[in-house]
Amino acid sequence: MFKLAGLFSSFDNLDQISAESVASWLKNPPPPKQLENYLANRILYPGTLPLTASDMQTDLAILREALKMNKAPAGQRNNALLGDNPFLNTTLRKILIPAPFLDFVPDLVSLTWVFIDALLADRKKQDFFQDLWTIVLTDDTDETVGSLLLPQFKGGRGAVNLKLFDKNYRIQPGSLVVIPCAKDRCEIAYKIQGGMILGKAENSVEVCGGKLGLVVDGRSR
Amino acid sequence: MKHFVPMKARIEKDAVIRIRRSLKGKGALYVSAGQVVTPSEIIGNATVSAGFRTLDLSALLSVPPQEVEKYLVRNLNQRIYKGELLAYKKGWVLGGKKVVTSPTDGVLDFLNTKTGELKIAFLSKKADLPAGVYGVVEVADQERGQAVIRILASRVYGVFGSGRPRDGILKLVSKKDGLVAKDMIQPKYEGYVLAGGSLFFKDAISSAISCGVSGIITGGINAGDYRGMANGRLVFPERLDNDIGISVMVCEGFGAIPLGSDIFELFKEYEGKFVSIDGNKALINLPSPSESSLIKVKNTKLPPVQNDEGIAGTEHVEKTRELWIGAPVRIAGNSYPGEQGRVAALNDSLTLLPSGLKTYLATVETPRRKIQVPVANLEMIC
Repeated sequence: MFKLAGLFSSFDNLDQISAESVASWLKNPPPPKQLENYLANRILYPGTLPLTASDMQTDLAILREALKMNKAPAGQRNNALLGDNPFLNTTLRKILIPAPFLDFVPDLVSLTWVFIDALLADRKKQDFFQDLWTIVLTDDTDETVGSLLLPQFKGGRGAVNLKLFDKNYRIQPGSLVVIPCAKDRCEIAYKIQGGMILGKAENSVEVCGGKLGLVVDGRSR
Repeated sequence: MKHFVPMKARIEKDAVIRIRRSLKGKGALYVSAGQVVTPSEIIGNATVSAGFRTLDLSALLSVPPQEVEKYLVRNLNQRIYKGELLAYKKGWVLGGKKVVTSPTDGVLDFLNTKTGELKIAFLSKKADLPAGVYGVVEVADQERGQAVIRILASRVYGVFGSGRPRDGILKLVSKKDGLVAKDMIQPKYEGYVLAGGSLFFKDAISSAISCGVSGIITGGINAGDYRGMANGRLVFPERLDNDIGISVMVCEGFGAIPLGSDIFELFKEYEGKFVSIDGNKALINLPSPSESSLIKVKNTKLPPVQNDEGIAGTEHVEKTRELWIGAPVRIAGNSYPGEQGRVAALNDSLTLLPSGLKTYLATVETPRRKIQVPVANLEMIC
């Protein structure tokens, strides 16, 4: 199995990341100079592990920026069969997360959250099918671990009422919720007030499940 | 459970190596292959062109640039000494008289009538090249003005650095955990290699360049300052070709990180002695100050000099080695950076860290405390 020496071993342009952009992901960012030194030490010692929770948050912020930087330059995004980023397959609407990354982050939810922030947060949707993505852990064999649902709220108000395995969930705008859904396929029924999902305000769809489950990201974009 | 960690060479003691001594300009070497040299021996002499200085005469005389020439009292290409009259403008009853004297010894090289600036070339001077070391000359290349000398030396390997090979007298400017500020860099340190502390501030580095300091050895450096030396990048390829007029070697990492005790204690022994620094290779050579080192140097043969690589320094390859209780280690990364100690215990089971990761921990006993760190954050030192 492919073994990463560190979370950032596969990125060769970490030094292009600015301290300010990393700080933008942190609640209480340290001074820019300290953050810049932290980032430089991560480049110098890629195999070391963060000890504290705040160091882990900083690592995840760096990872968000590193993933964002992997986007193809603006002029080279025409051949979008696989997407403009090696971690996205826009044709099959899959988020591709390298499984070895899990050795360096606490859990799959945190890692998925990083990928959503980096790859989809400021992405312009081309059609309503891009409200639903499959989340795949890639390695020697790929493993589907869940799905991502991106409701479209109008004006930042409303809510999604979602039913899965006879359980009801209510997702408010601005929140990100992970709903357990361990089966390979899960049928969900949703009703959205003040918005749409997959072009409809109310519908039933089948989504991929897995060890992560269904992620519903109601944050505005 | 076996744990493997990278093994990093930090200090190599009493190795027979080659160093290169180069003339600073055109000149002649006075030594030949096979000759034994001592530190104070002059092995060559060169004429050094020391640069130039620009004076804004237009501003100093308060006249338009095109009128500057008529106020010059010396001709171009003429020699002038410091304090001699350079330009003069008569005043009126109410003042306006301007007197400009030469700030340095030199030759009036060029007057730019568009800007009113005068370039004064410094007078070239003869510079002797002392051997600086006890050793045996292997090559005396008159054409390149370089002598290759076989010596006995200790070597210190840093983590990264910047700058071409330079040499000078080693001076400790602070404690191993001190911060080095601008006011600690004095003009008398011209040609010295300054070692100290956990961090050289940017203005201290600038001041060192201005003073003509040959090199700086520090525990840490701010990433932004290093970018300034490395073409704006923070990458660490095998070969670097950076130079900003000073050689810098960083021994621990980025930020304020105290210089490791192993290196600092060795530097104390060599303070006031001749050393050479290669920033781009992150390498310091500390030639033996003892005449008795010549015995080992004479009795040791090195492989023939093939190219510059064989002279500049052997490549020290990073290896991996199994960690054991009692092993000397150094902590890398952002937590407890640069701390050194010995492994006191190794955990056989995974431990959940506050960061949320599960990993194997090692207990490291430093001179001050015992700390638990991930095995992944350790380097074995030798």
